[in-house]
Amino acid sequence: MTAPAVETKDLVKVFERGRRTIWQRLRREPDRRERFSAVDGIDLRVETGEIFGLLGPNGAGKTTTMKMLATLLIPTSGSIRVLGIDPLERPRDVRARLGAMLSGERSLYWKLTARENLEYFAALYHVSPNQTRARIERALAAVNLSDRADDYVERYSTGMRQRLALARALLPDPPLVILDEPTVGLDPQASRDLRDRVRELRAQGRTVLLTTHYMEEADQLCDRVAIIDHGRIVALDTPAALKRTIRAEEVVHLELGIDGDDRTVLEHLGRMATVARSERTNGTLAVTAHCASARDFVPAAFDAARSAGATIRHVEVVPVTLEDVFLSLTGRALRE
Amino acid sequence: MTLLVADLRAFVAAVRKELRQVRRYPTLLLSILFWPVLLPTAWVLMGRAYSGNDPQALEAFAQRAGSPQVAGFVFVGYAMYMWLSTLLWGPGTALRTEQVRGSLEAVFLTPASRLVPLFGPGAANILPASLNFVVMGVALWLLFGFVPTFQATLWTLVIIVLGVPAMYAIGALFAASVLRFGEVGPVVQLVRGIFVLACGITFPVAMLPGWAQVSAWLLPPTYIVEDIRRVLLQGAGPADVTEHVILVLAMAVITAAAAAMVFRALETSARRTGMLSRF
Repeated sequence: MTAPAVETKDLVKVFERGRRTIWQRLRREPDRRERFSAVDGIDLRVETGEIFGLLGPNGAGKTTTMKMLATLLIPTSGSIRVLGIDPLERPRDVRARLGAMLSGERSLYWKLTARENLEYFAALYHVSPNQTRARIERALAAVNLSDRADDYVERYSTGMRQRLALARALLPDPPLVILDEPTVGLDPQASRDLRDRVRELRAQGRTVLLTTHYMEEADQLCDRVAIIDHGRIVALDTPAALKRTIRAEEVVHLELGIDGDDRTVLEHLGRMATVARSERTNGTLAVTAHCASARDFVPAAFDAARSAGATIRHVEVVPVTLEDVFLSLTGRALRE
Repeated sequence: MTLLVADLRAFVAAVRKELRQVRRYPTLLLSILFWPVLLPTAWVLMGRAYSGNDPQALEAFAQRAGSPQVAGFVFVGYAMYMWLSTLLWGPGTALRTEQVRGSLEAVFLTPASRLVPLFGPGAANILPASLNFVVMGVALWLLFGFVPTFQATLWTLVIIVLGVPAMYAIGALFAASVLRFGEVGPVVQLVRGIFVLACGITFPVAMLPGWAQVSAWLLPPTYIVEDIRRVLLQGAGPADVTEHVILVLAMAVITAAAAAMVFRALETSARRTGMLSRF
């Protein structure tokens, strides 16, 4: 059995909220800052050669986890091994083997060309002089930027800058690439393009660990996904296996017009399907139901609504997604 | 390629990157021509206006400054002020710029030594700062007819170069605090003001109260400014300034050791608190 690319055990990162002034320190006043766990006991094992996704809403602890792996943050407790190396003991060795894209387009020098950016970072990554040119050409080709290599980065679109940031991560020819929200802010075409590049990385035998809050991205791209919420992993498996856990074939989104009490209609619907979520806004009740067959459920839902004095305004039947898995595990939508 | 060679290459790349960016804002170079001439000239003229070119006043100045060359005294002081500003705040400014731009984490993700982002961009500023000397030398000659000897100019350069480690060591102390506290501009301005007052930039140290003079001689820039004036304006030779140069180098070693410890401690602190990405 090969060693995992990334392994964490009981990883914890606690931050403090608020300030403690110098005056308070000098007077030795008790520290009243609130402490919260951004990462709260994460156990991860990312196998070599897979695309592994951390899926969760903003503030779930994904980026903090990535930064600890990339040596930018020191964990409060727990252990990490990246490519078999402890980043706390040998941070430079980890950095030399790791391709990381954490802060995207802002991390580039906009007044330099793409090639000049890569030349600088190739030197920082200690790429030897006789390999530098080839590495840069290869990285540019890998992200489809060869023809724009000598343009200033300030003239690039957001998607191109993200791709350049990915090219920079490839400069050390890393066996492990970590990507933090790689497609955030990109249009659908640019997102698709970047995902294709990520798949190519796997095809080259690299391990990819990425974070995302886009369920489609995790579903389409990742071999395995860890769903993370409030700093904890709430589920970890392949996307298909995760979707099977909610025991439904289809998801039905209903929008009902209702004036009075909604308990009766929810009770009726709950007998025919699992009501994963319901939200009342004035006279409208939005319901997400997990069911075995929408063909059977939807007519029954109309009957239930009618008998409760409600009207169905909108029906949408969709396949089960990781969003539904997250909803069933946390009671909240990923977007909330 | 050994680690040291790799880091040296990274250092050169950091200097080149910075120079490339500066080159793309050519109007910045105008300041090299403008300020080094305008400000010290204004001070010299102001001094003349106050003294009314009275021989007694000039004599009093010569006694305190060790030379009757008012223009030379002021220009040397201002040249050193600009030079020290570049060296002292260069590392901190470089880190702060990277932090605000959002590229600091990307640089810290690489295996390059922390000395590269700390001193590389600052070192790039040495070239334009050196041009200040040339511009000021020409201005001093054309406006005030002062021309130092070749030997004095050579020894001045030696003193300047040997003073670089001490200045950078102090600069590294400030740069380290950027990692922990983010914006340290106001503190830098305060210290810059103290250096201007204490180190004999615009007036002789002898003008300060006794206790302040003692403090002034604890600061490396005081020796550097004093020695350059002695060599350029009073005709002192290498033997006259050797003691000071050794003292400044010793201060550099002590300050560099302190800066390394502080930098390491504050970088660790920044990695604990997440300050690297905050500003």
